[in-house]
Amino acid sequence: MDEATRTRIFKAIDQSISPAEFDRLQDAIEQDDEVLTEYLRAITLCESLSEIAAGQSAAELTAPDASPGRVPQTESMQRSVARRFTFGQLAIAATLLLTVGSVAFWLGQQRNRTTHVTDLGEQTEPTRESQIAGHATLRRSVDLKWPAHGSTYRDGDVLSHGPLRFEEGVAEIDFFCGATLIVEGPAALHIESDWSVEIARGRIRANVPPAARGFIVKAAGSEIVDLGTEFALEVKSENARVEVIDGEVEIRGGEYDGNHLLTGQRQWLKGSDTPESLDGLSTFDELQRRRENAASERFAAWQAHSHELRQDDRLIAYFPVAGTAAGRVVRNEAATGAGLDGKLVGPVDHATGRLGSTSVGLKFGRPGSRVRTRIDGEYPAFSFACWVRIDSLDHVYNALFMSDGYETGELHWQIHNDGRLMFSVMVDDTQKVRHFSELEQREVETAGLARVYYSEPIWDISKSGQWFHLAAVYDPAGRKVVQYANGKQVGSQEIIDKFYIEKLRIGAAEIGNWGQPFRKTPWFSVRNLNGTIDELAIFAAALTSEEIAMLFQNGKPLGY
Amino acid sequence: MDHEPDREQRYSEFVALLARHDVSIRRFVRSLLPSRDGVDDVVQDTALECWKKFSEFNSDGSEDSAAGFIRWACVIARYKALSWQRDKARDRLVFRETVIERLAQAAIDGLDQQELEQSAIESCLARLPDDQRRLILSVHSPGQSIAAIAQETGEAARRLYSKVNILRKRLLECVQQRLAAEVGNG
Repeated sequence: MDEATRTRIFKAIDQSISPAEFDRLQDAIEQDDEVLTEYLRAITLCESLSEIAAGQSAAELTAPDASPGRVPQTESMQRSVARRFTFGQLAIAATLLLTVGSVAFWLGQQRNRTTHVTDLGEQTEPTRESQIAGHATLRRSVDLKWPAHGSTYRDGDVLSHGPLRFEEGVAEIDFFCGATLIVEGPAALHIESDWSVEIARGRIRANVPPAARGFIVKAAGSEIVDLGTEFALEVKSENARVEVIDGEVEIRGGEYDGNHLLTGQRQWLKGSDTPESLDGLSTFDELQRRRENAASERFAAWQAHSHELRQDDRLIAYFPVAGTAAGRVVRNEAATGAGLDGKLVGPVDHATGRLGSTSVGLKFGRPGSRVRTRIDGEYPAFSFACWVRIDSLDHVYNALFMSDGYETGELHWQIHNDGRLMFSVMVDDTQKVRHFSELEQREVETAGLARVYYSEPIWDISKSGQWFHLAAVYDPAGRKVVQYANGKQVGSQEIIDKFYIEKLRIGAAEIGNWGQPFRKTPWFSVRNLNGTIDELAIFAAALTSEEIAMLFQNGKPLGY
Repeated sequence: MDHEPDREQRYSEFVALLARHDVSIRRFVRSLLPSRDGVDDVVQDTALECWKKFSEFNSDGSEDSAAGFIRWACVIARYKALSWQRDKARDRLVFRETVIERLAQAAIDGLDQQELEQSAIESCLARLPDDQRRLILSVHSPGQSIAAIAQETGEAARRLYSKVNILRKRLLECVQQRLAAEVGNG
């Protein structure tokens, strides 16, 4: 379809189309099925975008920390369904037709529908199982350079159906069937399924274990079916050849249909060139070595930045876990000293950090996992920044850094299970605040006046295992709360008078969990992080977005 | 014969079906009208007409009959959309009847794909870089009229509009690819 038609479609949807153009669009819809389909799809897209946007912008002023029992069910999907449901007028019109009892029933349905969809029982769709589209994983890479236009991926990302191109570097790709490709750039692939890939350009070494026997690589009009172990392939614009390193492959289609190649045998699929073997190809060990070297360079660079950062006199505390030794204490390297050291409590394990095998992270994952510290004093502002690898958001609220309890001036930094970052400060713990609880369908009273500042969603299950640099800046003087993910702003909200507070505190606090030592019942809210933290810095000042971006740049792992 | 209790039960059944398919009906109507204007009116007329004719619709409470309901309701909605546009033809741009017929047929044929399409849109959106996703959602959020941006004549508005269109085209391509892949993988 030509660009002009596409543009016309959007102009029509946006109501900015001229009558003459509208006529041409109508002609095209009538004459061309492709335009017809595209028009309908564009309408659906724009409607969906509006619904998703409406769902996201629903303002929220509640203070979830004050009522741990409250479990909001409002996934964005349900929120948007609720907003769309506006049969109010029909309800009025219906009174003409129906008995009073029926209308009451109708209205009851409406109320349920607009507030809490799951109450509708059999009328609701079953909870949708989470799904990700994809056929392979980019397991690791070295020095990848992505083209200016097209998709880019990070190590650990799931690769979906479609093209994968890069200009330089080496990537190791694990297909879900078990086959592994090492691809040297410049490369252009088209991932077709768990079992097949087409190579338009690139040098490839394919390793196919017994479980993946039958894996198909398409190149130069032929299919190379691996019958076990390892082969190499080189595809250029003018020629293409395959060489079996170990085992056997079968060639299907094209000129050499039916040929079997055994260990050491080569075949030109297209054109021909030098008779040399393909032995210049990267091996798995080599890739590993190159990666380790690159990782240790990155690690050394980070250490230099980290030493510099320790001199920053705005630091309240700094835990550069990645560069520390294993032990049950995590050291505060800021000038504020050892009094603020964190103590590992319960099942907190040392895991690999974000900067390769020499770096260390703290793995949280169970309800009793926590690192405790105590930070006294009053502060005019807060900036929190950490590197975290989120494995899953198991709980409604998942802790990053939380003051014990929730008293006036104290903060909570956590992640909602819908992927939004949350930062909040208790403004006045003596006030009682009434708000409408969606769960209980009534007004409830909670202790304390606080506002939760949410970012836009930054995480979903497809990001599991990726490292994120997260930051929150709480700036009472500047009257704003700004949140960041990987150096980019993902939320900025004003601190209005009602929620203004001058003196901020931390007190006894936890990394990766929430301590409630003075609760009056044996029950506690489960908020442990399921993931790894390998660096955390807390500043008594509002860092600028340039400074946050710099922290991200100085600390980012390979492939970012 | 006393119809009242029977009628009550039929009504609950009707409301349940309508509630469940509201979104689909609304989308269907939207795709037949040139803009969102009139969607509420047509959906309301459709719902009333559906209730009047509900006795003609054979429902046995099964999944099949639920799927049948949406098709049945869409046929009614098509007539309502046609007559709404007939009324408005003099004072605004509306689709020709032949175009509405084609759109309606294609949209009814596509009802089965709705869920797939929705999840394709969500995952394509998730794939966009953060700043682009923010932009596209912000111009589509309630109260923000992309139409207003499109009609402005300033250089900045034009640039913004063309940026938004590039993103929408990219999303459409992505959705297209995903749906094709879905069919391909059975």
